[in-house]
Amino acid sequence: MSTVSWRPNGAFIVVSIVTLLSAASAAAQESTPPDAGQPGADAGTAAEATESPPAELSPEEMAEIEKALGGDGTGQQNAPAGTASAPQSSPGGSALSLPGMNTGGTSFLDLSLVLDVAAAAFTAKEPLQTGGHDPTRNGFNLQQLELSIGSVVDPYFRFDANIVFAQFGVEIEEAYGTTLALPANLQVRAGQFLTRFGRLNGTHPHAWDFVDQPFAVGRVFGGEGNRGLGTELSWLTPLPWYVELIGSITDATGEGTARSFLGASAERVLSPLDLQLTGAVKQFFSLSDDLSLLWGLSGATGPNPTGYRNRTDVYGTDVYLRYRPITEASTTLVTLQAEGFYRRRQVPDDVLTDFSAYAQVAWRFSQRWATALRYELGTPASGDSAEVVDPLDPEWTEDRHRVSAAVTFWPTEFSRLRLQGAMDNAGWRESPDYSVFLALELVTGAHGAHAF
Amino acid sequence: MRPFRLLAALCAALTVLTALPARADLNVVTTVPDLAALTKAVGGDHVQVQSLALSSQDPHFVDAKPNLALALNRADLLISIGLDLEIGWLPNLQLGARNSRILVGNTGFLNASQFPRILEIPPGKVDRSAGDVHPGGNPHYLYDPRQALAVARGITERLAQLDSKNAAAYRANLAKFTEELEKARVGWEQRLTGLKGAPIIAHHRTMAYLADWLGFEPIAFLEPKPGIPPNPSHIASVLVQGRQRKARMVLIESYYQDTPAKLVASKIPAPVVTLHGGTDFRAGETYIQHVGEMVDRLEKALTGKGG
Repeated sequence: MSTVSWRPNGAFIVVSIVTLLSAASAAAQESTPPDAGQPGADAGTAAEATESPPAELSPEEMAEIEKALGGDGTGQQNAPAGTASAPQSSPGGSALSLPGMNTGGTSFLDLSLVLDVAAAAFTAKEPLQTGGHDPTRNGFNLQQLELSIGSVVDPYFRFDANIVFAQFGVEIEEAYGTTLALPANLQVRAGQFLTRFGRLNGTHPHAWDFVDQPFAVGRVFGGEGNRGLGTELSWLTPLPWYVELIGSITDATGEGTARSFLGASAERVLSPLDLQLTGAVKQFFSLSDDLSLLWGLSGATGPNPTGYRNRTDVYGTDVYLRYRPITEASTTLVTLQAEGFYRRRQVPDDVLTDFSAYAQVAWRFSQRWATALRYELGTPASGDSAEVVDPLDPEWTEDRHRVSAAVTFWPTEFSRLRLQGAMDNAGWRESPDYSVFLALELVTGAHGAHAF
Repeated sequence: MRPFRLLAALCAALTVLTALPARADLNVVTTVPDLAALTKAVGGDHVQVQSLALSSQDPHFVDAKPNLALALNRADLLISIGLDLEIGWLPNLQLGARNSRILVGNTGFLNASQFPRILEIPPGKVDRSAGDVHPGGNPHYLYDPRQALAVARGITERLAQLDSKNAAAYRANLAKFTEELEKARVGWEQRLTGLKGAPIIAHHRTMAYLADWLGFEPIAFLEPKPGIPPNPSHIASVLVQGRQRKARMVLIESYYQDTPAKLVASKIPAPVVTLHGGTDFRAGETYIQHVGEMVDRLEKALTGKGG
């Protein structure tokens, strides 16, 4: 449906983002005088001060100005309203706390560290792992040490960063700002971020039900998942059920983050069409108190380096069904998650298409224990000519199936032990490969909120 | 013509649907049902109230479902328990709601923990070796109707601030609620005088305020540390303490699995008292009815044991 409609609107999105950002900064300037005028004054006196000095504008005059300036953007009055009224008074006196996400504490920066290490054993000499944080060799593997930093910057922005330390270096996985006060249910993220293509791509290993990433993500987007420097605009529609529309423009480069697009090649950006455009629709249905369904449709398009104006398109759909009884005493949690990726690449004299998918079921059967099963499929690239060689994965000439099973034990919600076994049946290899992982995850620092 | 008709129908549907919440003057969302019940008591017909968590749900572990973000998107006021009770799920919902009114620090956000007298504030530095402790103090203060009254007062002031034309109505509702609650409280306290000094075992550290109010003594918890599930050796030591101190009852919230509680209780022996974790607000229960029901259960266990 609307996976198609965003495509011609790329330029429009840029324009709207710029407009919105300037609106936000105008709002920011607007609200500074009362604060700056009363340095050190407490909330109560600040509120009185805005009324008493005759030199300042009266509320009517202020309203008039706002009306005149905000005439072409009716929603804008929403944004400053909350912050303008904030200093008035706040019974109980938490008026001086920074507007932010934390429900308690005075710290300006939430820091947390996640360590993922795994012991691994593979039967294959060269395992076909595609994820950047997957265990890839026999013995002990440092999957990652992730430093997450989050904070509210000011009334208009929130800042988040995920910095990953690996054995051979440091990587800025994500670092972006999110707007807090845009009107009309809009939200912008800007910086470097994982695109919200599908369900798994936007998440970090900490949220996964398996030690490794489905090979579909690594095959289509790269070991780090699809991400880039850019801007994302999302809109929560006013429909009675949850419908969110997301569009983003990101850099199409990076071997580990955009391999089906420009990948490691150093192409120059000459027009917006040389960037990756991603669109998604997410819909949520609360089927009952205990049962929820999230359904997403995603599409991404961007240039690929195989020739002049050759493009890659990826279409995906994701389904997430979650059963968690909350109407009774229960620790049961059953989730069903599936994603499919259809990729279409223009290459010289041909168009290559392939399909990758995974489906998994996870069952948490007690407070501390869960088990999960995953099946994955990847078809070889096919084109018009009989003999097709995929420029990205030349050996991938037949179907690949992989089945993984995992058992997880959580001593608390801050630590996790996971045993996982897999059988990887790549059609182009003589026999199936087997692997076993024993992974440990430790989370320390600020308690990050869990996304649905 | 057809698309036009569809569009018209869609517009009409949208108008109807978006017009619905406009009946009340304020749209309030609370994190837990007790807060919803208190808000309804002082807000009356002028507020539309919704709770994100159900009374049958452990408020520490609520899924940040997108439909909850949708509720927050349309809220004028968000009231939370605070003290990190909702830290695992509320921040994501607040961010996803795209409603700057309900962000911390704005008048549309009210952290209710500023009103009651907070107990069990850990002295000094805390770390998670002590389990999932709340560094700001114990967040389960609505078990004590005296603290609930302080919260109701705070909510009233915020409602009056946000909706000044109905301020008088909110204050009148508060006066009525205060009178009813105080009257009920005297009765409850009389019925439960037998609990004073009684040794009691609880599942989770939710009982600090109830104990403070009714004067009983929590001697042991089935959880070895907050958030850590009961294990056999700990249960054994709790049982020994329960027998030595002659525990009068084992208290557990309905959202915990009661196998360990039943086991310990049967071996002491003492009755198990299952308390609803919160007001069944969605079914129309009021806060006073909820506490009344809790008192009934405690009284039954108290007298049943004596008889």
